[in-house]
Amino acid sequence: MRNLFLFFRKHYFIFLFLFLEVISLILFFRYNNYQNAVMFDWTSGISGGMNSIYRNISEYFSLKRINFILSEENAAIHARMPEAIYLVDKTIFSRHDSLFQAEYRFINARVISNTTNRRNNYLMINKGTLNGVEPHMGVISGNKIVGQVVNVSRHFSWVLSLLHKESKISARFLKNNQMVSVEWPGGDYRTGVVREIPKHFRVAPGDTVITSGNSEVFPNGILIGVIEQWNVQEDENFNTATLTFLTDFNGLGYVEVVVDIFREEKEQLKASFKEL
Amino acid sequence: MTNLVVRNTIRFLFLVLFQVLILNDINLGGYTNPYLYLYFILLLPFATPRWMMLFLAFFLGISIDLFTNTYGLNAAATVLMAFCRPYVIGAISREPEEELGIQPSLRIQGFKWFFFYSFILILVHHIALFYLDIFRFTEFFQTLLRVITSTVFTLVLVFLSELIFHSRTKGKR
Repeated sequence: MRNLFLFFRKHYFIFLFLFLEVISLILFFRYNNYQNAVMFDWTSGISGGMNSIYRNISEYFSLKRINFILSEENAAIHARMPEAIYLVDKTIFSRHDSLFQAEYRFINARVISNTTNRRNNYLMINKGTLNGVEPHMGVISGNKIVGQVVNVSRHFSWVLSLLHKESKISARFLKNNQMVSVEWPGGDYRTGVVREIPKHFRVAPGDTVITSGNSEVFPNGILIGVIEQWNVQEDENFNTATLTFLTDFNGLGYVEVVVDIFREEKEQLKASFKEL
Repeated sequence: MTNLVVRNTIRFLFLVLFQVLILNDINLGGYTNPYLYLYFILLLPFATPRWMMLFLAFFLGISIDLFTNTYGLNAAATVLMAFCRPYVIGAISREPEEELGIQPSLRIQGFKWFFFYSFILILVHHIALFYLDIFRFTEFFQTLLRVITSTVFTLVLVFLSELIFHSRTKGKR
């Protein structure tokens, strides 16, 4: 027993090292890619507050660009308003139409922390459970894809960026609705890769890739990117292609969280289907 | 003694803030990002108890992790680096540790010593950090490139800081 004690005392440095390393690795594998409200609630007070202060200052330097983006979005929205539509036949158009029901609601939020230089990137936004943000909600900027909420505290949320190894977006080609998936292979934050392109399907540079609307995260038709190069894989079942993201991930100022109003209904339907 | 503690505490706080507020936003060519916060571990006095060094490394890493939502990632890499520090010092110094001075310094130990000392430790940290972060071997060479370019970047910043803050503090150190 005494020898054992002496042994530990002699090699305490190695044991302490192993102890701290194991704690770090447990934290790493337990809390990453997981939602953990307890941990996040505790830490978001510090890091969220500090990031907010810093963004408040640094935001002044990008106001010009943010204003430009906002005015562009405003213009796009105005173009879709009833006032902007020229009525050919007054008897058909109606503004209060019960045929249309809102499917999505959007919560606007400010990005207070953002990285693009890691293999796995996250954004922090300044809206949380108090504003109705929940895990698994999609996040877009204008009409462009950004990521998915993974972690929510009262006032802040962590968003798993598209620039993450766990991100796999169900997408389709705008020109013929061909289903594919989009991932980020790491490296340059402006380029991604399109996978699972069927062999018979020809891809041309300049083709637009948008979200498929098959997942509950993003609405149909959110812009992802434009094809840059088509890569034919001789010995595989599918071809791939590289694409340029339309989202400027390094310059994100304001984003919108997508709230799917019918999500509960969809999930219930899914659950009931499993029971059969 | 008190002076050393105060200086190191200030250095800790300053480097954490500098890292999370400024350096984390820097990204050269999509591959390279510097981790100057390691400068704190590099400059710890030689007389720092080893257990304390490990704990300081752990808290330093966790502080960085709080801001990047990667709980444990930086902590694991920094603790590994702190663990290697005494062995690296032992391997590259001719005289015993007690005769090396108060803390590692470019001016006292000379360019060659300080270069190998910081290069090896930064490399250890970056290898652990980047490979733990991707945690798959399909991107092995791409990650290796990131490790190498980031190591060079961090090393340059460490030498710059050393030249700016520690070149003319004779007598005080």
